[in-house]
Amino acid sequence: MYVAAKVEVEKCTGCKLCILSCPEPNVLRYLPETKQVAVNQQRCKGCGLCVTVCSKDALTVSSI
Amino acid sequence: MSESLFRISPGFEEVMPVEYRELVTNGPCGREVGVSDLGTFKELIEEHPLCAGCNMGLALRLILASLPKPEDTVIVGSTGCSSLAFTQVAVHNIHSLFGNQNAVASGLKRALRLRFPDKVKDVVVIAGDGATVDIGLDMVMQSWFRRERITTIMLDNEVYANTGGQESGMSPQGTVLNMAPLGKRFPKVALPEIAREAGCAYVATISPAQPKRLERMVRRAILTAREVGPTYVQIFCPCPTNFKFRPNEGLQKIKQRQKEGTFQVREYVSPEAQAFLAELEGADHEK
Repeated sequence: MYVAAKVEVEKCTGCKLCILSCPEPNVLRYLPETKQVAVNQQRCKGCGLCVTVCSKDALTVSSI
Repeated sequence: MSESLFRISPGFEEVMPVEYRELVTNGPCGREVGVSDLGTFKELIEEHPLCAGCNMGLALRLILASLPKPEDTVIVGSTGCSSLAFTQVAVHNIHSLFGNQNAVASGLKRALRLRFPDKVKDVVVIAGDGATVDIGLDMVMQSWFRRERITTIMLDNEVYANTGGQESGMSPQGTVLNMAPLGKRFPKVALPEIAREAGCAYVATISPAQPKRLERMVRRAILTAREVGPTYVQIFCPCPTNFKFRPNEGLQKIKQRQKEGTFQVREYVSPEAQAFLAELEGADHEK
């Protein structure tokens, strides 16, 4: 899509709150190796629900 | 309708889309996964055409992750926003005529019980508020009167969203919408109370703002419907497009409505269902 969420790796603690608030399936993925979240930017619609729930301010929505 | 149906015939692995292959290797079928495992397995719903920030999309994701046995579940849907997403769902599903969903589900449940007497097959109706409370209320209530063992899940977005924003029975009083410029003149239908009186063994209202609780309620509803009687879950998912709020404000809107008292999370369990669930959940604890 034209806008998408982005994870700041330094701030993400892997709490998965964003995954439980995202309306899009398989967009936010939890990586067990790094214990962090990754975004599939090709499928993200950039609604920003994940940004509002993230308590660590680790997510931002910007144009891609 | 079993796990083996998902498997790809040998030699065809490479021609199948990568999403399908992932569903076979890393899908939720045959595994004990739930809402808290989301993000680590391939979900049963694929890229859907619902709007950005659609709470219904979120509710559908959570419902599909909560199904106790997705490979033995059949979903009956009806016309509405939710039906746009069902073409991307990897669970057997039927699109019925508008409002006919509970009648179709009743017949299906009976047929499945005859065809597979030794297996448990769950029939779950997932429809919008228009199909459940306005157009299909007759079929919905008759299925409850007949004590059909099906689960009815209503995705309550309080509006006819994909036809431009007409008021529905579930819109609160005074709601002004694109196609209801004077505001709705009568209050929201109290369907949970109607369900209770009509004979549902388990009734719950919930929103996707509490995902773990939603999972518990959906699971309880489906398990109760297997043994006790009809169940009803109402999921409040306000529509950002028709209620004109930003896509990122959906969950805040739900919390605001909860504070105002116009939306409440509630659960009613009949005495028989209570005994059944206590036995079932007690056995789970002992494991």
